[in-house]
Amino acid sequence: MDWEQILPLVPQALWESFYMVAATTFFAYVIGLPLGLILVVTAKDGIHPMRTFNMVLGAVVNFLRSVPFILLLFFLNPFTRLVMGTTVGSVATIVPLTISAFPFVARMVESSAKEVDRGVIEASLSMGASNWQIITKVLLPEAKPGLINGAALSATTILGYSAMASINGGGGLGAIAINYGHYRSDYAVEFVMIVVIVLFVQVIQELGTRGSRLSDRRIK
Amino acid sequence: MALIEIRNLTKTFGSGPAAVTALDDVSLDIEAGEIFGVIGLSGAGKSTLVRCINLLERPSSGSVVVSGADMTRLSARELREARRNIGMIFQGFNLLMQRTALENVRFPLELSHVPKAEADERARSLLRTVGLEGREGAYPSQLSGGMKQRVAIARALAPNPKVLLCDEATSALDPKTTESILELLKELNRSLGVTVVVITHEMRVVERICSRVAIIAESRIAEEGSVEEVFLHPRTEAAKRLVLPSRSGKLEGFSESEGAGSIDECRGELIRLAFDGSTTDRPVIADMILSCGAPVSIVYADTRSIEGRLYGHTVLQLPGDADTAEKMKRWLRDQQISFTKEAQ
Ligand SMILES: Nc1ncnc2c1ncn2[C@@H]1O[C@H](COP(=O)(O)OP(=O)(O)OP(=O)(O)O)[C@@H](O)[C@H]1O
Ligand SMILES: [Mg+2]
Repeated sequence: MDWEQILPLVPQALWESFYMVAATTFFAYVIGLPLGLILVVTAKDGIHPMRTFNMVLGAVVNFLRSVPFILLLFFLNPFTRLVMGTTVGSVATIVPLTISAFPFVARMVESSAKEVDRGVIEASLSMGASNWQIITKVLLPEAKPGLINGAALSATTILGYSAMASINGGGGLGAIAINYGHYRSDYAVEFVMIVVIVLFVQVIQELGTRGSRLSDRRIK
Repeated sequence: MALIEIRNLTKTFGSGPAAVTALDDVSLDIEAGEIFGVIGLSGAGKSTLVRCINLLERPSSGSVVVSGADMTRLSARELREARRNIGMIFQGFNLLMQRTALENVRFPLELSHVPKAEADERARSLLRTVGLEGREGAYPSQLSGGMKQRVAIARALAPNPKVLLCDEATSALDPKTTESILELLKELNRSLGVTVVVITHEMRVVERICSRVAIIAESRIAEEGSVEEVFLHPRTEAAKRLVLPSRSGKLEGFSESEGAGSIDECRGELIRLAFDGSTTDRPVIADMILSCGAPVSIVYADTRSIEGRLYGHTVLQLPGDADTAEKMKRWLRDQQISFTKEAQ
């Protein structure tokens, strides 16, 4: 075991993991948030039901969500190379991470927005709200606590995926665990990196729980 | 022309053999400024009827004209405009849980892009009107049921609507709170001139605030008229079932041993006294017993005192002795209390 060699790498790896997770979460929400809202709005009991469209979109999202990440990662290599010029490194990994995370995010957003009481939406409709106003002034603000929780859960899932991606040349904490721990059969390094990742997950989770609770006006 | 004119309104949910007809050829006129009640048993179609007024539910056929505009013929945009003229409150309050009382009342004004300062001002003044001054910053979860309904009322009134629809607005509240909310609705009707449509399954709600009432039964309007007329002299079978306890005047469920017959002297005829508010609230039956010197059996009583006057029905079994019974009837006539013979 060569701690002098490994320890200096940890801050850099931590940073890489952080920005992979942050950027992926951001892009996954750019795609997944509207998608989740569209799923709610066009559902049978939504404010603008579109039966066939909703079914097709739901099926596509389900399909993407069912592909095991590790297979998607390899399968997307040509696409990633096309977009980023390379498949190696933390920045390039953001592409497959985003593609695997946005369907998850869409379902997350959908389930939070579905929690908004049907009666409140009806009351808003009775006051002359347009569908757009319902989305921006009712669905999103009323679902905020659930959305924050969902974002934290998405981020921890993405962190897990980002560790897996180091098998395909991604960076971050997972890369140290694999390159210095696994390939060199150094269990101590592997174990330490696992602990660091677990702590990272805990921090995200805790932030999510607190943020959600602080923003929720239904309790207190 | 009435403020709300409902013509041949029919609403069917679903299709084929599973179709449910919630409203069947309903026609109603609701006049500007009145408090109109719609009463009926669960599943009769009451909610569907109000929801067809602001088109939360689209009628299958027929028309709904509110202040001259046929709601069923409006474009989506025109419908949103028209809805701002029709406030609605609900059994479950339906407040935005992540907004304060003030922000809730401001909500409909935000929808129509009223400048924030002006909207705040109006929301504040409305909260004062409904008796919630000082609770502007409270979230719904911090308010009682009655307070939540007050916020909902203020919110519904914020755009200054002509009509306020109330779907079981007091059904989730205790009797005392119900009373205060009804009082508030009556007061707002008087001071703002807003027309109120009250949907309920409770007689006392209608009695308390409505001037006219429609009885809805099995998707149709069974009877319609002034509250006094409908409640005291129901004509149809459906209305009688709702207003009178014993079906078409027959007494059911009273056996000889446990009911009227258990008092020997009281095996005479049954009479139904109807109190229509012309009698002051006093112990009429006790007076009669004292002045006639014989007991009667009260088979059924459903009377209420409203503003010191007596309303409702009482069914008595008079003594078997014909002379005493005659004496009692004479006493009632002297007191100008109307009664009818009840079939045994
Ligand atoms: N969205 C719907 N889909 C199918 N059936 C419906 C729907 N809404 C109402 N119905 C049916 O229409 C009938 C009338 O319902 P409605 O809610 O108007 O009754 P109600 O008089 O308001 O009853 P309650 O006192 O229970 O609220 C019922 O048989 C009900 O099952
Ligand atoms: Mg109902």
